[in-house]
Amino acid sequence: MNLMRAGDVIGLPVVSIASGEDVAEIRDVVYDGEGHRLIGFTLNKRGLFAGRFKAVLPADSVAAIGPDAVMVDAEASIDQGGDPLPGMDDLRSARPVIGNRVVSADGSDLGEVVSVILSTGEVPQAVGYELRSADRSDTAFVPISAQLALSGENLVVPAEATAFVREDLAGFGAAIASYRSPALENDV
Amino acid sequence: MTTCSFRQAFGRGVISSDNAESLGSVKGFVLDGRGGQIEAIHVDGRGKRSTVLDWSSVRAFGADAVMATPGAAPSPVDGDHAIAAVRGTVSMLGARVLTIQGQEIGNVDDVEFDTESGAVVLVHTDHGPLGGAQLRSLGSYALVVDTADTQAAAPPVDPPVSGERGTDAYQPG
Repeated sequence: MNLMRAGDVIGLPVVSIASGEDVAEIRDVVYDGEGHRLIGFTLNKRGLFAGRFKAVLPADSVAAIGPDAVMVDAEASIDQGGDPLPGMDDLRSARPVIGNRVVSADGSDLGEVVSVILSTGEVPQAVGYELRSADRSDTAFVPISAQLALSGENLVVPAEATAFVREDLAGFGAAIASYRSPALENDV
Repeated sequence: MTTCSFRQAFGRGVISSDNAESLGSVKGFVLDGRGGQIEAIHVDGRGKRSTVLDWSSVRAFGADAVMATPGAAPSPVDGDHAIAAVRGTVSMLGARVLTIQGQEIGNVDDVEFDTESGAVVLVHTDHGPLGGAQLRSLGSYALVVDTADTQAAAPPVDPPVSGERGTDAYQPG
């Protein structure tokens, strides 16, 4: 599994596998902080007269997210109607997750959420959060689990998940290792 | 199978085989949407005023000249797809190579094709060769390829520089 920070997807071209054309560009990531779920992407047009695209790209229409492009099967994968993504309505009341303090169930401060981590395979999804410790010296990755509780400012990681954070860095192993390759480590 | 590369082919004369008349020279190629088959040869003119010779009118793509079938004549370029090709808006040479996983793997250096069928056999990139069957689409942004489709991979020409892609023989243990 290859992982990527959600923010690094912004600006990538959206390329059709059927035509080899760049049909759009990622404008922003639509993320449901409360449900810890990647909903999709809003788009910009490509080229000289670039501006906002009414069309949107639901996460399940993505063929693959790579380091250099977001691939779709064909231009038709983009919802040209520009209808709000399913679940987007709920976002009006959604709470932002970036900047939240992450506290473990036993009361220790694990740090602050600095980014959402996406898996970039054929079914892109949010798989974790990147945390920066209060003194900004340590980075940790918390896997997303259903038990994460989110308030306006805090994200509480259940006790069993706290154990998973540690295990996860070992268990997630290869995934986190590929994620924290030197190239990515520098761009914080 | 005899192959020829795009770069070798450029400038080769295109000659009518019934009256030995010169019809132009190889200025470029119009490929299908996949980038895997030559549809026509750009023989004269520029942009919308280009003339192209359909691949079905090629009797022999020789080492020194391209012989057109008797009576065949180049026709004015027609259709957005072919116009983009003769204008160079969509061009195989120099194209950015993008995998279906969304990763760029260099640019196209040269293309080798079967001189009989016009099928693209090999695409040379600055990251190594790709097989013609690995091509998915050729557009103005990129040549999209499926590198995971190893069945369609280019036959190894040179030994790989490093064995990191797992091409080494099975080692027990």
